[in-house]
Amino acid sequence: MGEIMDSASLYKSLDEPDRADHLWKYTPWRRVHPSGDLNEIPDASAPKFGLTCLDENIALVGISIEEGGVDGEILTESDKVTASFIKAAARDSVFTLRVENNFIASSPIILDIDTGDSDCALHLTLDIGRNCEFELITQISGSAPWTGFLRTGTVGNGSILNDVVIGHTDSGTLLRVDSISIGRDAQVKTGTVSSGSDNTKSDLRYKMADTGGHLNVLGSVLSAHDMHLDHHIEIHHEAPETFSRLNWHSACGGNSRTVGTGMLRVSKGARGADAGQLFHNLLLSDKAKADSIPELEVSEHDVVGCGHGTANGPVDEDQMFYLESRGFDTEEAKDALIAAFLNTTLVEMGSEALHHWLAKHLQDELDDLKS
Amino acid sequence: MASDKPVLEISNLHAGIDDTPILRGINLEIPAGEIHAIMGRNGSGKTTTANIIMGHPDFDVTDGSVELDGEDLLEMEPWERAREGVFLSFQYPQAVPGLQVGNFLRKSVAAIRGEDAAKGAEFRKTLKDAMTELDIDRSFLGRYVNDGFSGGEKKRFEILQLMLLQPKLAILDETDSGLDIDGIRTVAKGINAAVRNSDSGALIITHYSRILEHIQPDKVHVLIKGKIVKSGGPELALELEERGYDWLENDPEQSA
Repeated sequence: MGEIMDSASLYKSLDEPDRADHLWKYTPWRRVHPSGDLNEIPDASAPKFGLTCLDENIALVGISIEEGGVDGEILTESDKVTASFIKAAARDSVFTLRVENNFIASSPIILDIDTGDSDCALHLTLDIGRNCEFELITQISGSAPWTGFLRTGTVGNGSILNDVVIGHTDSGTLLRVDSISIGRDAQVKTGTVSSGSDNTKSDLRYKMADTGGHLNVLGSVLSAHDMHLDHHIEIHHEAPETFSRLNWHSACGGNSRTVGTGMLRVSKGARGADAGQLFHNLLLSDKAKADSIPELEVSEHDVVGCGHGTANGPVDEDQMFYLESRGFDTEEAKDALIAAFLNTTLVEMGSEALHHWLAKHLQDELDDLKS
Repeated sequence: MASDKPVLEISNLHAGIDDTPILRGINLEIPAGEIHAIMGRNGSGKTTTANIIMGHPDFDVTDGSVELDGEDLLEMEPWERAREGVFLSFQYPQAVPGLQVGNFLRKSVAAIRGEDAAKGAEFRKTLKDAMTELDIDRSFLGRYVNDGFSGGEKKRFEILQLMLLQPKLAILDETDSGLDIDGIRTVAKGINAAVRNSDSGALIITHYSRILEHIQPDKVHVLIKGKIVKSGGPELALELEERGYDWLENDPEQSA
């Protein structure tokens, strides 16, 4: 109870975030707060869960969702406003995804989160043991006007995790926070597939906490109509010999706007760090907007490399002509190029089975947005 | 069904880009079942001719006509031309990262030859046979369109599409460039298989005669500064190989 009070009290003690701050430059806190009354913390309901395996013949042994969490596990590198707010809002909805040491699954595991139709919040702790090897698809759907989803926790030493979060709520606002620590020699791919909600604000932070950690952060973001999808990704290299890549693709149509901001921090002592980030935006209409700001803060001289870049552009006319010369009509060619653009990051997110599932999901989303 | 009309009929074609004229009155007829070659130096207008027949939006046609089996191509969008039966094997095929070769081929065949032609055992057999003929490995189908392909792989992939799409008119723009002699032989075999003994026509664009040793053209046309200055039989290609283009450039009397 003390922790709950602490989160609410902490949130209420904080000033409204300044838009000069990297995180809030394009999407002010007021815009993604459930009511706009910034002192109010909603009485959010808990979502419904389902944990299944894509291969129905595989029994889930060694992985489970349990009620309750672990105190004090939010990274100090995380934003206080977003993390404390969701934690306070999710006071009745604290769960842990517990994965035993050496757990291995040969088929992706699907965590379905149904938000229902009222404000919804969830604090999920990832407690992933050592030397696990599995793929996790977390799918957030439903029609809640506001959803807060906080993930905290640790990927254990030596584990190999392909982790994909799909945000496709029908409408409303999705506020998502990741605050996750990557263990020694762990290899993590964490993908975001975002194609729903009117407003999305994601604040995703990963800490390369121990030697040899390897992280790929991937995004396939599709916005249309009047959507506003803002993703902020921070990767903190604290330990030596750590590797990270951020590759973020956003396709932006209609009157929509996508934002991608990134921060790579390499702390003093993180010798041999190798980090890079790239944002690539595909603009599908004259009214669509896409903003990307990659940033670097490198405090260690002895690094393998640290780089960043961003590229914006419309659909490539030469690619269009090539597909049209092969019988694709103009709309088919454009759709194929959008799907291809998003697929280049999608395919990096995991296994062939995972990719097949994601590609089908993406095609359904593309079809839905057109209808 | 063969018609009396030539597969391709180009009349007095004038075209350019951004007010710069490139083609200055081209006339060309390719009857069904014939393979013609256009030869010329770099910058003579060969690739422009190919792009205009396919409908590249960067080029403006200022005069003349282009007809496929008597149908006005210039009124059609590129994809409509493709569905009518025009195929262009590009000199520099576009890479499309993220678009898998297998899906691309299936969609393309469905768009041009109909859904039935793109599914079932018959499609798989046609695809397998064409890939075998062109010495293309099955793993190709899982790659992305032209992404990371070598020069030779790109050209083979273009010819694979030619074999699957079975067009009325195949335009092959510098298909021999970037290929070694074995590659030229393989690609030529594919082109001959797709065009010979059919009602299709083909236009081979090249500035070397070596591919024409493997694909015997019915006619050879020489393009200089946007005009066809001479036409002849296959022997003209050999003459060009020996004498170059200067004699045609300098002596208008030689013009056909």
